Amino acid sequence: MFIKKSKALVVLSLIMSALILVSGCGASKPAETAPSGGESKEPIKIGFLGAKTGDVAIYGLNTLKGLNMAIEELNKEGVLGRKVQLVEEDNAGQKDQAINITNKLISQDKVVAIVGDPTTGITRVAGQIANSKNTVIMSAGSTGTNVVEIGPYVFRDTLLDTIAAPATMKYVIQDKGWKNVALITSKNNDYSVSLSKIFSDAIKSNGGNIVIEEFIQDKDTDFSGQITKIKSANPDVIVFSGYYTEGALIMKKAREVGIKAVMVGGDGLQGDDLMKIGGAAVEGSISYAGFSPEQPTPNTEKFINAFKAKYNNELPDLFAAQGYDALMIIAKAIKDSGSADPVKFKDTLAKTKNYDGVSGSITFQESREPIKSPVYLLEVKDGKFALLKKVPVEVK
Amino acid sequence: MPILNNLMQQLVNGLALGGIYALIALGYTMVYGIIGMINFAYGEIFMFGAYAGLVLALTNYVNVYTALLGATLITMILGVVIERVAYKPIRRSSRLSALISAIGVSIFLSSFMVRVKGPNTRGFPTLFENRIFEIGNFQITIYQIVIIGVAGLMMLGLHLFVTYTKMGRAMRACAQDKDAASLMGVNIDRVISVTFAIGSGLAGTAGVLAGIYFNAVQPYMGLLAGLKAFAAAVLGGIGSIPGAMIGGIVIGLTEILGITVNLSEYKDAFAFAILILVLLFKPSGIMGRKANKKV
Amino acid sequence: MKKLLDNWLVQFLLFLCVLGLTAFITDAIGDVLPPYLLMIGLFIGINLIMALGLNLITGVTGQLSLGHAAFMSIGAYASAIATVNYHVPFLGGVLIGGLVACLFGIVIGFPTLRLTGDYLAIATLGFAEIVRVQFTNMKITNGAIGFLGIQGSTTFPIVMTIAVITLVLMVWLENSRNGRAMLAIREDEIASSAVGINTTLYKIQAFAIGAFCAGVGGALFAHTTTFIQPTDFGFMKSVDILSIVVLGGLGSIPGTIIGAIVLTAAPEILRPLANYRMMVYGVLLVIIMIFRPYGLLGGVNLRQAVRRAFMLTKKKQAGREE
Repeated sequence: MFIKKSKALVVLSLIMSALILVSGCGASKPAETAPSGGESKEPIKIGFLGAKTGDVAIYGLNTLKGLNMAIEELNKEGVLGRKVQLVEEDNAGQKDQAINITNKLISQDKVVAIVGDPTTGITRVAGQIANSKNTVIMSAGSTGTNVVEIGPYVFRDTLLDTIAAPATMKYVIQDKGWKNVALITSKNNDYSVSLSKIFSDAIKSNGGNIVIEEFIQDKDTDFSGQITKIKSANPDVIVFSGYYTEGALIMKKAREVGIKAVMVGGDGLQGDDLMKIGGAAVEGSISYAGFSPEQPTPNTEKFINAFKAKYNNELPDLFAAQGYDALMIIAKAIKDSGSADPVKFKDTLAKTKNYDGVSGSITFQESREPIKSPVYLLEVKDGKFALLKKVPVEVK
Repeated sequence: MPILNNLMQQLVNGLALGGIYALIALGYTMVYGIIGMINFAYGEIFMFGAYAGLVLALTNYVNVYTALLGATLITMILGVVIERVAYKPIRRSSRLSALISAIGVSIFLSSFMVRVKGPNTRGFPTLFENRIFEIGNFQITIYQIVIIGVAGLMMLGLHLFVTYTKMGRAMRACAQDKDAASLMGVNIDRVISVTFAIGSGLAGTAGVLAGIYFNAVQPYMGLLAGLKAFAAAVLGGIGSIPGAMIGGIVIGLTEILGITVNLSEYKDAFAFAILILVLLFKPSGIMGRKANKKV
Repeated sequence: MKKLLDNWLVQFLLFLCVLGLTAFITDAIGDVLPPYLLMIGLFIGINLIMALGLNLITGVTGQLSLGHAAFMSIGAYASAIATVNYHVPFLGGVLIGGLVACLFGIVIGFPTLRLTGDYLAIATLGFAEIVRVQFTNMKITNGAIGFLGIQGSTTFPIVMTIAVITLVLMVWLENSRNGRAMLAIREDEIASSAVGINTTLYKIQAFAIGAFCAGVGGALFAHTTTFIQPTDFGFMKSVDILSIVVLGGLGSIPGTIIGAIVLTAAPEILRPLANYRMMVYGVLLVIIMIFRPYGLLGGVNLRQAVRRAFMLTKKKQAGREE
């Protein structure tokens, strides 16, 4: 018995230590952005909230890239004579971890603002905490409802679905003349469920009609049943409100059974995997986004070039651009108000008008809900997202 | 008659989906029938097979047969290794320990794949050209024919193997009474290894075929597919090889027919509802024999 | 001294004292600890409550349930609906969450508990999936978008007090007639039914109490995160709770406490290990099952352990008792 126990312990500790060793090598170094200079003042701390691991890690990692660029740029001159420092934590896309991290960032690291989370669900949870502790939080990705309503400290700089989806449907139904729509919703995806509501209202108000409404689930792979039904409904266009993976698989199946209609969707279709998985089947698919590296303004071009130089010629995506903008807007509000106290600079932040960001112009309304212009309509062409149209949004 | 055409088409879709479930269920039912433990990691072996096929298919030199064969071999080895490392030491412990150990293996394999290949869904390269046959007013694709055909052949082969070969007889002896079989000179360890090898090989084949048919491979694909296959095996009568086939096809058809009658939202609940109902009312399943519990 | 402790009135008064002390101490701790650490402590408490419930089902009675997250979600949604839609006070909502989950535990338990071992495990897993699909498609739960606007009423002292109540009741239950019957079922169901134990009754009892604990935990969880979605209660959540029970020791209350503390705090302490957390979980489950089939502290009983420690000081007496 004794031998057995010690053997178990040895095996256990061996495996644990091996794993820790492996993971230790793989773990990224903590962000040491502030260079060791002779600054007398403490740096202004900004927290990053997002997933670096797990299902939605890609959004968090890209936001972080944008943030690191913003930090570098801000630290050339400093903000109010102080350096800016980023404190990053990984919430793995889980609510309970996000709660712990938000508390840690605010009470332990004493950040003045948090950028994140890229997803709506976690922003709602973290927003409650940040708002009650008087800390600014700006999501660089959430597009769902009930986010800024939480309170005066909660912001976001994203292109809202309520603005972009109707603009897209107007283009599809009125410009393209595709009136008969098949609407597909991913029932276990909150983004898809809320976007489908907006799509469905916009289709009706633009004079289209939904000939068939179908439901799938995220991570499904077999769509033959739904596609067979859609085929017999004979739609002009397939509107899918979910993510790119399922979008690609749906179109593969649709082309296989001989459906000619193209797919239209939201920014959830933005992902290179759409083309990687879908191949020729997703050619012609239309989606909207709050950012496109094509036809850049001078400001955006500068950002793209700097980004490519820093990250191995990689093009920035939506999350990187919005993450960069989020931090730059916060920094501007701190400068303009002359204070790094969130109680003071949040009011200046809320008055931001026509800010010329790299992801478009950003204005906060009375409700702090952002209006971004333009909406970029993108089409898949030769296996790439190509700019189809820039639809300007008017600030009322 | 568009509704009838649709129905015919949906039946074909259901048969193909059921074929995939049946392929996984065959191995499940065999392992359970002979060793009497739920190999909870079975779905992950299926996933591993799909990834092995993907990796092989991406190396350009490989055609569909070598990809299938390679993936089958890899999962065979994997199955035997899992059995030796995680199940053999606790063969004499309680069933609870065995099941928890199997869950451990399952979690390990899927999170291992997430680390190695990332959490995203990957597309599957086209290994052979898909063709579509129009029969009357509905269509059937080569992929669908292959899946239904392979599932049928596998079932037949497995059935013949278990019924007529010497190893098959040893397996059936183990299923009835391991200790008695061992006294009669059956090498239990070898029989169990062979069982795991064949069962896991089947899962690997199913993985590659599923990858080709769905054009998607994903680290967590094994969990749900494995559970549905288990439901299929239970429905057919656990331990019965033709039963697994029937069970798989019934579940595939139920899912697709559920979609046809506008219940797409509840699709994933069907298999489990059937599973629970079968467990309650006819635990021995469609083709299963009633086993008396020995004290 | 020993006789005095056996008096139920004394025990009850002692219990009340402990409760009051817990509330007082945790309240004092709450003022001192930074919110970050406090929140980790709170989650440890919630996980402990749920794990104690599962420990009764799986550890003590030996029925493997893979659907504990389903009961948690039922409690979470029921309490959220109660407090938000019907303005029930928070603690009432927690109680409702527990009761509704308990009710489902009984309704589901009656038919499924006729199943044994592996079949039961798979049936509970299937049940959990059905519950999740149902919550995804219900209007009142707001589907996948999630239930919004729950008050963040859960506090550290409340969680800890409920955890201590659960703990005391579990210890008491384990040493009662019912607890011994449950243990007997784990050891050998057929033999225990042969000596006249109504196995179905005790199994359902364990299931109902376990589901109640999960429901209470879910209610506390919902009123901590203030926002819940069906995806919060997936298969992995069930596995998380099961890992606490298995790692700590099947049927061992001190083991469950240690498991809850270690596994809840682990992702916070071992942030670099986060990427490998699930892999480590998997390997750990296998290794523990091979070397300690009843978990690390399996078979260790809190009251006996305390008593033994107490007796150790009086070596002679201990020697005579052994």
